[in-house]
Amino acid sequence: MKMILRAAAAAAGLAVLATGALAADWTPPGPIKLMIAFRAGGGADTQARLIAEELEARHGWKIIPEQVTGKGGLNAAKAISGENPDGTAIAMIVTETLGYNLRAANAGSPDMVTPLTTTAGSQMAVVALTSAGYKTLADVIAAAKGGTAIRFGVMSPSLADLAYVIGKENGIEFNIVSVKGGKAVMNGLTAGDIDVGFGAGIQAKAVSAGDMVELASVKSEPLANSPDAPMLTEFGVEFYNDTMFMLAGPKGMDPAARAAISAAIQDIVNDPNSKANQFIAKGFGGAVTISGDELDAIIAKAYSDADALMAASAE
Amino acid sequence: MSGSTRSNFILGLVLVAFSAVLLFVWIPLDTDTGYIEKVRRQVTVGDAAAPSIAALFLLTGGLLLIFVERARADQPAFGRRHLVFVLSFVGWTVLSLLVMRYAGPALVAVLGMDMEYRLLRDTLPWKYVGFLIGGTMLISGGISMVEGRVRPQRVLLSLVITTVMMLIYDVPFEDLLLPPNGDV
Amino acid sequence: MGTLDYIWLGILAVFQGPELFSMFGLPISVTIAMVLAGFLTGIMVGATPGLAGPVAMAIALPILISVFGYTPDALLPVMGFLIGVMKGATIGGAVPAILFNTPGTPDAFMTTLDGHPLARAGKAGKALRIAHFSSASGDTFSDIVLIICAPFLAILVERYLDLPEKTALLILSLSFIAAVVGGSPAKGLISTGLGLLAVYVGTGEDFYPRLSMGSTQLAQGFPIATAVLGVLIIGAVLKELDDLWRKKREVGTVAASADQGDQRLHGADIRRLFPYIARSALIGTAIGALPGIGSTLAATLGYTVGRARYQKRKAPQDPAFGEGAPEGIASTEAANSSVSGANLIPVLSLGIPGNAAAVFLILAADSIGGFNPGPSVFRFTADTVNPELVVAFGLFTTMMLANALNWTIGGLFMRSMGVMIRIPKHILLPSVLLLTLAAIYVQETRMEAIWFALVFGVLGYVMRALAISPLPFVIAFILGGNLEATARQAFAATGGDPWFLFTNPLAAVFMAASVAVIVFTARNRKAAA
Repeated sequence: MKMILRAAAAAAGLAVLATGALAADWTPPGPIKLMIAFRAGGGADTQARLIAEELEARHGWKIIPEQVTGKGGLNAAKAISGENPDGTAIAMIVTETLGYNLRAANAGSPDMVTPLTTTAGSQMAVVALTSAGYKTLADVIAAAKGGTAIRFGVMSPSLADLAYVIGKENGIEFNIVSVKGGKAVMNGLTAGDIDVGFGAGIQAKAVSAGDMVELASVKSEPLANSPDAPMLTEFGVEFYNDTMFMLAGPKGMDPAARAAISAAIQDIVNDPNSKANQFIAKGFGGAVTISGDELDAIIAKAYSDADALMAASAE
Repeated sequence: MSGSTRSNFILGLVLVAFSAVLLFVWIPLDTDTGYIEKVRRQVTVGDAAAPSIAALFLLTGGLLLIFVERARADQPAFGRRHLVFVLSFVGWTVLSLLVMRYAGPALVAVLGMDMEYRLLRDTLPWKYVGFLIGGTMLISGGISMVEGRVRPQRVLLSLVITTVMMLIYDVPFEDLLLPPNGDV
Repeated sequence: MGTLDYIWLGILAVFQGPELFSMFGLPISVTIAMVLAGFLTGIMVGATPGLAGPVAMAIALPILISVFGYTPDALLPVMGFLIGVMKGATIGGAVPAILFNTPGTPDAFMTTLDGHPLARAGKAGKALRIAHFSSASGDTFSDIVLIICAPFLAILVERYLDLPEKTALLILSLSFIAAVVGGSPAKGLISTGLGLLAVYVGTGEDFYPRLSMGSTQLAQGFPIATAVLGVLIIGAVLKELDDLWRKKREVGTVAASADQGDQRLHGADIRRLFPYIARSALIGTAIGALPGIGSTLAATLGYTVGRARYQKRKAPQDPAFGEGAPEGIASTEAANSSVSGANLIPVLSLGIPGNAAAVFLILAADSIGGFNPGPSVFRFTADTVNPELVVAFGLFTTMMLANALNWTIGGLFMRSMGVMIRIPKHILLPSVLLLTLAAIYVQETRMEAIWFALVFGVLGYVMRALAISPLPFVIAFILGGNLEATARQAFAATGGDPWFLFTNPLAAVFMAASVAVIVFTARNRKAAA
């Protein structure tokens, strides 16, 4: 038995070594298609294009970016799923695509794609204009209890659920307004169309200028810019949103290609001299590079957690 | 009333029928959330509402054509002639585009290359094959149709125009992909 | 950051942007070069029968975007080029109209009435100079009105309109465009309805892509470029090819008459023409500010008003309108040229496009990102810089720059464009078709985009054959998403009030006006029929 285990371990070690070696020599057999699940010109799109630029410069690979937008990244996930798994097609999505969105749409299981690596997290917060006078989420809840109708801007279905649960746990009901993208939340706040809203990091500049205030952290940890902002748990909400940007390949992707592309991308986003790293630091609170089993586990958890959030918001 | 054409009336009927299909068949069967929907204890607008507004625009337009503008004098004649044009010219365009799409992969297969076209699509001369043949077909087809005959020098001219176009897109801009090289 | 600071930043963004090369030690920014390139291109395509500004914009856009990338730095060079084309095409259209009695662009039709008789009388040079002077005057005036009005309108909208009113305003603009464009309210409604239907395929809030009939190709919806370029450009190409095919004749070379005598434009001429130019510029600007009513109506109105005035005042020996009156050219050109600037008032302050050129500016902003035409652009922030506002003032600067080019080199370049009519249309049109399809492909990089564009092209052709204007389709396609989103948000924000469009007084007024404009035009048409 011991022998078998040792042999298995050796074989596994060899396999890892072999993959590593393969990854080092791996070159794409042709141009790589990069599907971007976000609107051209937005923060996520810029991030993907900067990474693509750097991949071309460092490795001489040819990257062809292409927009495949819509349905919270599901269109891109479906499109990448069936592509050739030899490393000539990858997609930029968010973990939420393979978690809540895939679950809610009932459109398949996360193994429809091969996760490569994350690139960045988010600074998800409840945001309001400073001029509105709220200091923390508690003030908003108090105002709502006092009879003020509060419009809550959200940019994805899971955040809409979350906004609802925040209200439910505190005995109030928000008017939940769905808008397209974080920029639209910012515009809605400024125009007075909504009172509070979620920001995934785009609020950083306005917060440091004092125009906006982060009322609560929606992450599982405190916010980088407002470390004193309360956590959602303080309001009886057990859910949080730790969405990360990630790249994925087709289902059943060649392990050598997976390892090589993941490593190449991680090198870039972790290199403080790269434009991609600087961009991520500015807009998304710094690079986060999780890959392999750890990433698979995060996605699996996000997928199974979706049920609980949906159940909580269906009550 | 000129009496020469009833295109407004017929178009009106077609649109009323189409919007009925939209409202009662396509939209109900092909949307998931209805006109309004109750989520999170709140009533929200469903995905069927907006297309139904579009259908109402079509329905109103169709009804106006039938009841108000039916007898207008300035109705265009619409008929076989237009159909013949669409079938011939657009048909030829579709054929040219299919050639554009498949000429490269077909050539690679015929020549028995040991690689797929997909992997060669960014290398010379493969990346130009489809666009050149298909593009030349498309342009010379249009010219020949108007001239009523096929002249070799026009085909040559079309080849030159297509080549110039191809060079404009491909030489200065490294990132631009000519059809069909983005999705093979 | 005061208003003046923003204006100054906008000017700097144009002149101190990325440097292309330096001339006599002065750095020439890439934006300046693009405005110039666009302006010259515009004159050329305007002077070519069968081409018009939108074609050049459609083909250039994907190339420009790949050159400049998807960064906010790309906005001014790309949009500067488009603005250059818009202005160049306006004066270019008059060239073949005057020289060969063939309007280069549709709105130059009225210019043929007096321009060509003047040319036949040996005064082609003078006619072109009159056209250029009137056009440049009207254009500049219109731009000034835009620069003054757009920010105020935007601020008013932002301050006083809440989500329900914004929804009602979008409905009002759609029904106004449906009623006014294309001659018949029924056909306008149909065009609008088709545009809305097209944009609602595959989109929506739910995870199931609606109306996609289970196909993955439709699940992403129709890319905006395929719908706009298909209906607007490919549809026009098909229609023109059909006309040529039916006539089975080539556009032969037309003999131009030789110029005789003094061709210059004197101070006395200008003083005589000025009242006509001023009236037409006012008419054109007023019409341009309303979305959807094109320059053709402006030209017709300007011409009619000019004729009425001229008949009362002309000396007996002067030629009447239609027989080579310089005042006729001035009235027409000043009117049709003053539409373009004012047309950007609803674009920049409300995000509502009014004509094809505006559609392409929105398309550019949408493709590049970082600039969303609409009231949020004109937010004069105090401590932080609002980059969109800088872009807006940068755009105004490029417009004034294009006007300066127009006044200085425009006339000269325009008068040398008579040769463009020698390009045979039946070779040009299929080439434009291929170029447009390739342009769509480089932007979307998938074959489906080409198939979609071709289908939309056939739709555009059928619509033209049935005398349905394609413009409401395009505008509805662009506004449709916004309309649905705003309506949803208004509904949610009012806590699910189903009557949100009517409970608010201003929204109710907008809604009543939307119905009234359709009923009113339909009844008018019935009376006229």
